[in-house]
Amino acid sequence: MRRDKREVSKPNNTKKSIKQVFSLLKDYKLKLSLTFICAVISTLFTVISPILIGQATTLIYDGIIQIMNHTGTINFERLYMLLIIATILYVISAIFTYLQSWFLTQISTDISYNLRKQLIDKVNMLSMNEFDKNKRGDILSRITNDVDSLQTGITSTFLQFMTAIITLVGVFVMMLTINLWMTLVTIILVPVSFIVISVVVKRSQKYYQYQLKYKGSVNTQIEETFGGQDIIRAFNQEEESFNQFKEDNDNWYVHEWKSQFYSSLMGPIMNFISNLSYVAIAVLGAIFVLEKAITVGDILAFFQYIQNFTQPIQQITRVMNIVQTALAATERIFEFLEIEDEENLSIKGITDINDKITFEHVRFGYDENDILKDLSFTANKGEKIAIVGHTGAGKSTIIKLLLRFYDLKSGDIKIDGININEYDKNSLRSMVGMVLQDTWLFSDTIMENIRYGNLKATDDEVIEASKIAYSDHFIKQLPDGYNTVLNEDTDNISLGQKQLLTIARTILANKKILILDEATSSVDTRTEKLIQEAMDKLTENKTSFIIAHRLSTIKNADKILVLDDGKIIEEGKHRELIKINNGYYKSLYEQFKVEGGVD
Amino acid sequence: MKNILKIMENKIPMLILMMLFLIIEVYCDLTLPSYTADIVNIGIQNTDFNIITSIGLNMMIMVTISVFATIIVSYISSKVSSSYARDLREEIFEKILSFSNHELNQFSKASLITRSTNDVNQIQHVLGIMFRTLLFAPILAIGSIIRVFELGSNLSWIIFIAFIAVAILLISVISTVLPYFKKTQEIVDQINRVSREILLGIPVIKAFVRQEYEKNRFDYYNREYVRVNLKVFRTMFILIPSMHLIMNLMIVLILYFGSFDALNGTLLTGDIIAFIQYSTQMVASFIMIGGFVIMLPRLLVSVNRIEEVLSTDISIIDGTVTDNSSNDIIEFKNVSFTYPGAERKTLNDINFSLEPGKTTAIIGGTGSGKSTILNLIPRLQDVTSGEILLNNINIKEFNLKNLRNKISLAPQQAVVFSGTVKTNLNKGKENATDEEMYEAIKNAQADDFIKNLDIEVSQGGSNLSGGQKQRLSIARAIVGEHSFYLFDDCFSALDVATEKKIRERLKEITKDSSVLLVSQRISSIKFADEIIVLDDGKIIDKGTHNELKERCSLYKEILSSQLENIGGSL
Repeated sequence: MRRDKREVSKPNNTKKSIKQVFSLLKDYKLKLSLTFICAVISTLFTVISPILIGQATTLIYDGIIQIMNHTGTINFERLYMLLIIATILYVISAIFTYLQSWFLTQISTDISYNLRKQLIDKVNMLSMNEFDKNKRGDILSRITNDVDSLQTGITSTFLQFMTAIITLVGVFVMMLTINLWMTLVTIILVPVSFIVISVVVKRSQKYYQYQLKYKGSVNTQIEETFGGQDIIRAFNQEEESFNQFKEDNDNWYVHEWKSQFYSSLMGPIMNFISNLSYVAIAVLGAIFVLEKAITVGDILAFFQYIQNFTQPIQQITRVMNIVQTALAATERIFEFLEIEDEENLSIKGITDINDKITFEHVRFGYDENDILKDLSFTANKGEKIAIVGHTGAGKSTIIKLLLRFYDLKSGDIKIDGININEYDKNSLRSMVGMVLQDTWLFSDTIMENIRYGNLKATDDEVIEASKIAYSDHFIKQLPDGYNTVLNEDTDNISLGQKQLLTIARTILANKKILILDEATSSVDTRTEKLIQEAMDKLTENKTSFIIAHRLSTIKNADKILVLDDGKIIEEGKHRELIKINNGYYKSLYEQFKVEGGVD
Repeated sequence: MKNILKIMENKIPMLILMMLFLIIEVYCDLTLPSYTADIVNIGIQNTDFNIITSIGLNMMIMVTISVFATIIVSYISSKVSSSYARDLREEIFEKILSFSNHELNQFSKASLITRSTNDVNQIQHVLGIMFRTLLFAPILAIGSIIRVFELGSNLSWIIFIAFIAVAILLISVISTVLPYFKKTQEIVDQINRVSREILLGIPVIKAFVRQEYEKNRFDYYNREYVRVNLKVFRTMFILIPSMHLIMNLMIVLILYFGSFDALNGTLLTGDIIAFIQYSTQMVASFIMIGGFVIMLPRLLVSVNRIEEVLSTDISIIDGTVTDNSSNDIIEFKNVSFTYPGAERKTLNDINFSLEPGKTTAIIGGTGSGKSTILNLIPRLQDVTSGEILLNNINIKEFNLKNLRNKISLAPQQAVVFSGTVKTNLNKGKENATDEEMYEAIKNAQADDFIKNLDIEVSQGGSNLSGGQKQRLSIARAIVGEHSFYLFDDCFSALDVATEKKIRERLKEITKDSSVLLVSQRISSIKFADEIIVLDDGKIIDKGTHNELKERCSLYKEILSSQLENIGGSL
């Protein structure tokens, strides 16, 4: 039902992913055995009952002959007996079929629950380094799509595979007990059908690959065209885009219908083969009846067995695609789960800073290129440090290092003379609060979003913090006040308001060290002023690092760090720095004055 | 459903042809049990080998005809469902291309994309199955019933009872499950949402050490998903075993009551065998329909989502006036604009004009309506009241192509397309020569990274930086000659020095045209001939930099805040 939603993707290492699936099933030995027992019982009974039905038919047939020859009548006693047994078997078989799926759904939902949980735990525990290596959309699709296809894979395929195989074996044995030759006629068709199917599948695979290519380019075009639709209209490019799309869309169709046709041929072929065996059984059966080798009822029983025989084969071929998708999904899930968690070896706690934070010859880069080359500075307790520099100079990198999101290539970061690597990461981070331009809030009430800063805070404390952050006013104006639920894109409040909320959140958290990234241009002037004032309040009496854009912040800072080429090139107060002749800071300041139109 | 069905219209002849072959297929298949009855009733009872083999031969003929009919059915059904999907995609694509911003805002772009890809695939997939089951099953059922009556037995009531039982079962299972389908979808959305939030918030989560909190938040929905899933699966899985049970019990009943008829000679054994097979086939066809019905809710969701797109009315209607003069003037006359459903006017009584050789700039905070003004000029959306005149004629009267040919737009978000630099610039001017392109690249200060026109641009311009994309987008805007150049804050990712150079080149290129420039930076616009200060959708002042600096309080406020803000240069 769902399989069309995704491409049939193939696992890279089938053996390994099968092993992984089994490792998932390992914990469900009891339930799996129960499932297996149920499957065996239900198929066994399904397989036996046609014989009973056949015997009942023979009884009627023989009875009629006897009536015609006036030698007796139908043996009703025996007939009822057979029918009653058959009914019981049918009912039991149905119950066990259901029980089997009952256990299996339990197993499969349980597995997918655990996998989703493990994946999210993994996301939470990954180091930033590993996290950066994965695309978010990709992780998301592992949590949702891949787990889902694994679940469908387990429920539908496992169930079908198991019953198919048991049925095949059971039916084969039952057919043999009736007649060897008729069985052979039926069996011989199995390899024949597999050969025919594999030929057809190969053909369809070829077209499938072609159509996949065009599908990709059609999808890309759709994405791009809709993404830049206003540009296309503004430049009168609708016709070009449409023609380009039409070409690929037509090409897709040409290969797509062929691929679909060939893969749908499976049905007719299997149908043909089962019809052939039907005819063969009817004719052969009749001849054997005349030779007294079998009875009339056996023909009926055989008809039912043919059905039971071709059905599982069809099922197996049909679920192969789902199996492959599920295996590929398993592979992707495990690949992610196997990434190492963020290490947190040190257990030494830290709650406050007594003296100073020092960066000593810090060298760091996200890849082989170094962003910070030889960075050293000292921030004393209670100081307000402004970091100034070009975009990409590494301003926010300094912050990430202080939080130990990444490890240094060389050099040390120390708090009160002790390397931060010696502290428990979580206790270090608990000491630091940050307000970034990229506001992150989640879709819950505003109250809960602010409370995120301190989960134990009472409602009153939350409101108090929000007052300090100048957000109380606008929150109260919202229809639901503090109970307003931020929507998924959190676009029911403005960007500036979001920023105020993150400030309130950080105020509530009451951290010893603060990291602030000042707003640039995305916020209107008035809100920006409020944010500024809120940030000023936030940093009162705190050790703070500010990625500064505003002259007032920079001027008021206790220390300005001018960052260029991975090094601190100038350091000091505003009035000191503008005195440096040919200084970098001074030149920036001068240039700005000209550009900004200061007369 | 109207639009979606309409696309099916020209496929009706094919569908009728397919039905024809389906009937042939079913007819052939259904002759088999009655041939078997003949074998048993005539052949075996009379010990006649010849009759048995000749009936066998007839059966082979039927089987062969049947397989050819089935293959033709498969052929037609693949062709019809694929070509239907193709036509549907084409229709949607064309429709969405004609959307104005107004219609675009009703859907999100992401949702439009899934509608034209996933939803179409979903429909196509179901369509393929539908042709084989939903059309096949009733034919099979009807054929079986006809055959049963031909046998002339009085056991038909058993089939009727089986039918009722299956119907009750189907209806009760589906009605139990349906509401849960919706719920499942909601929970899936929630799981997606929370996962996405966590993925985006990792730095914050780490900094606040809130991993446990997030795990619990996710766990709530995860558990809920399991609960609902179990309910859905366990209800659905009742279906198959019960259907089989009904079918099997029906066989038992037939044999039981058939034995009485056999006793008084009204029913032959062969007929009982045939009867069992027909009735089995009938119930099987109901099972098929049942399996299909389960897919319906999902299908309907897709159908509705596509129908929503196709039935959207296009608000922008093309005009007829064409004007090829080059001395174009645009005039805004009392223009107001309100987003549908919004209470507040986004633009309120806007008046200004664009004239050749004049540079007009708009400055104002976020949400003041700057971009909206720009979008109104090429009629990406239409004014709510008032009018925009091009050479004294309302732009709504103009042929859209003609109007848009006069206009060039560089948007706030630099949009580039996959292909090469050349294909991107071709969007700005279709028949631009290489020289013209190089010229535009040079003027946009993009010649440092574009050394030749065949440089690949990947999807979404992911191989370019923000500033590079902006410069490419500017190059596209200036590669052709236009009467109006609209620049929507398109220098934001460039440093001051580069911006200055581009501006100098622009002055030269656009000396005979009108330029409308939107920015948040005063340094970008202070040279303009006229600066419009926009606040909350209203023009609160117009004038030159020097005039405004003296008299406009908002302008002064912005100016002083930007003097404060050296982020632009740092």
